[in-house]
Amino acid sequence: MDDPLLELNKAGSEQPEARNSSDGARQRFVLGETGFNEVPRKYRKFYRKWQGEGDSLALNEVLCPVCLVVIRSSRELRVGDRVYCMPCMSRLIVTREDGILLAKVVY
Amino acid sequence: MSETVEPHELSQEDFLAEVHSFQFWLEAVDGYLGGTSFGCDPDLPEQTFAGEELEFLITTLCNYCIGERAALEASSGMIRFAPDPEAAIFLATQVVDEGRHLEVFVHRLKMLGVSDPWTEIDQRANHSLLKFKDRLLEFVDQRDWEASLLVQNVILEAMEFSAFQAHAASADPITAAVLTGVVKDERRHMGFGENDLGRKLLHAPHTRSRLNQIARELNTLALSTFSEIAESLGLQGETDVSANYLATMDRLGFPHG
Amino acid sequence: MSDFLSAFSIQSWLESCPQGYLDSTEYGHRPGEKESEAMLDNEDFLEQEIRTTVQLVLGERAALAASSGLINLAPDDPSRMFLATQTLDEARHVEIFTQRLYDLGVKKSDLDGTLANYGNPNLVKFAEVLLEKIDKGDFVAGVVGQNIVLEGMAFSVFEMMHATNEIANPKFAHTLSGTIADERRHVGFGENRIGSLLQAQPEKKPEIQKMQQEMTAHMLAVFSDSFAESEEVIQEVQTSADPDAGPAMYQGVDLNTADSEEMEAVLSNTVIGEFKTRLARIGLEYLPPAA
Ligand SMILES: [Fe+2]
Ligand SMILES: [Fe+2]
Ligand SMILES: [Fe+2]
Ligand SMILES: [Fe+2]
Ligand SMILES: [Zn+2]
Repeated sequence: MDDPLLELNKAGSEQPEARNSSDGARQRFVLGETGFNEVPRKYRKFYRKWQGEGDSLALNEVLCPVCLVVIRSSRELRVGDRVYCMPCMSRLIVTREDGILLAKVVY
Repeated sequence: MSETVEPHELSQEDFLAEVHSFQFWLEAVDGYLGGTSFGCDPDLPEQTFAGEELEFLITTLCNYCIGERAALEASSGMIRFAPDPEAAIFLATQVVDEGRHLEVFVHRLKMLGVSDPWTEIDQRANHSLLKFKDRLLEFVDQRDWEASLLVQNVILEAMEFSAFQAHAASADPITAAVLTGVVKDERRHMGFGENDLGRKLLHAPHTRSRLNQIARELNTLALSTFSEIAESLGLQGETDVSANYLATMDRLGFPHG
Repeated sequence: MSDFLSAFSIQSWLESCPQGYLDSTEYGHRPGEKESEAMLDNEDFLEQEIRTTVQLVLGERAALAASSGLINLAPDDPSRMFLATQTLDEARHVEIFTQRLYDLGVKKSDLDGTLANYGNPNLVKFAEVLLEKIDKGDFVAGVVGQNIVLEGMAFSVFEMMHATNEIANPKFAHTLSGTIADERRHVGFGENRIGSLLQAQPEKKPEIQKMQQEMTAHMLAVFSDSFAESEEVIQEVQTSADPDAGPAMYQGVDLNTADSEEMEAVLSNTVIGEFKTRLARIGLEYLPPAA
């Protein structure tokens, strides 16, 4: 994981730091500001607004079913990962349904 | 490396302590309320309204005020019987959010030419919503944490969340800005309610049928209010004010219908 | 009334508090500030600070319960709105003083135990007198009890602690100065709002004065317990202090040289003096504790 970090191509959507290698190592992502302003500054880049139709999720992103904000991680997300949605205070687990990664709330 | 903390790496205990704190609230609202006055940029232009349009908007805002007043009274009453000090601190942030919502809606009414908003609110109040409020405050008086959370943070706030969001999309610029800020606050309240109730239900599954009964009684009152509002604003058709609420109940494991 | 109350709106609270003196603070102090080393290294000093901070947490918890309970009793919406901001201020006070206990080395799992161990029973009684009025739905008595008696006490205690800590422990002094700014609003609301309500309900006066009398008795008992308990530590702190630090003046008394008895006297006299003038302004007579 000591590859140099790649630059952002545009605000809110990042290049992965390293391509997925065959041994299943996860891609890393450098997160940039997204314009999301509903959590303290230090956490803002971990969330972004869901744009609705036409928007798509990157490998490090998952949608919060409770408040419909996109949750982001600095690494690729996989089934079984735990993520938190700070805007609505939910704890979520990443699951797969019909081939798509989804977050399910765990109380 | 930068000193950012990846929130997803926190333990659940640390996560809850963080998001329920005043400090979190302070830095969160700073992001979207900084530079605003009564919930919007003071330089936003006022739109001109046609006669009936203005009437509907005023009635709608008056009823939003009833909902906010209910939440203000209920959330403050709940502090005394919050299950832990962190929940009490979170509720205190909700209290001020609800007070702010009431204040910004009242201020908007004044901008629209309503000279005595408090009287106007009472006159235009929707009866189902008043009844809903009374029932909510009864649960608070009985110090019934689960019922209060269900009625306020799940039923009322989930429906408000949908209604405000839909309304913001078609409203005049000032009303839209005010509503957008309110929705950002409601996200916290709604999420707190669902998650806390979800945790409580894990440990006390027997409360489920009682809560389900309460939900059946009260969601019709809230639903009729918000559907009426959506209709008067011409939002009907595109907006289902109950969808968000039903999805929440689904996640909490309550049966449909 | 509504014009005067606009100064107590949430909008003006937002501008003065979160966007004003709390801007860029962390738990009420400047980011990165630490408790004084000299205190942390001395077991007696540390225990004394923990004991004091425990009383602050308990007092603020009472204020949080009281101010939130008053919202539903308020006769008008602007008062409700002000009390909403006060509720959040009190929650913040609970949080920052609890955080201070953690900074002083109390473990999160030991919080309840620490509060139970060091909490002064007279302070608990003081709070009970107030909360009983609120439980009975008495708004006017509740506001006098909270915003004049409890806050009047807190205000003076914080100011005295601020004077002691300004040089010796800037981190804690900064935490206190934010709470003093908050309490100023609370005290102001109490006086301004209640004056007119009491004029309309003069028959309530005797009962409210009796509440003030009971609360004052419990408060003085807390002061007396606290200063008696800390007598030796106060001497120890003073002898080990930097001789060039200069005086820490509070109400004409140098807290760096006064003994615990003098400190108790200056605090009690200040608080009671404040009670007298504030109560008089709203048309109430101060009653000293029954002998
Ligand atoms: Fe609200
Ligand atoms: Fe809310
Ligand atoms: Fe306080
Ligand atoms: Fe206060
Ligand atoms: Zn969420």
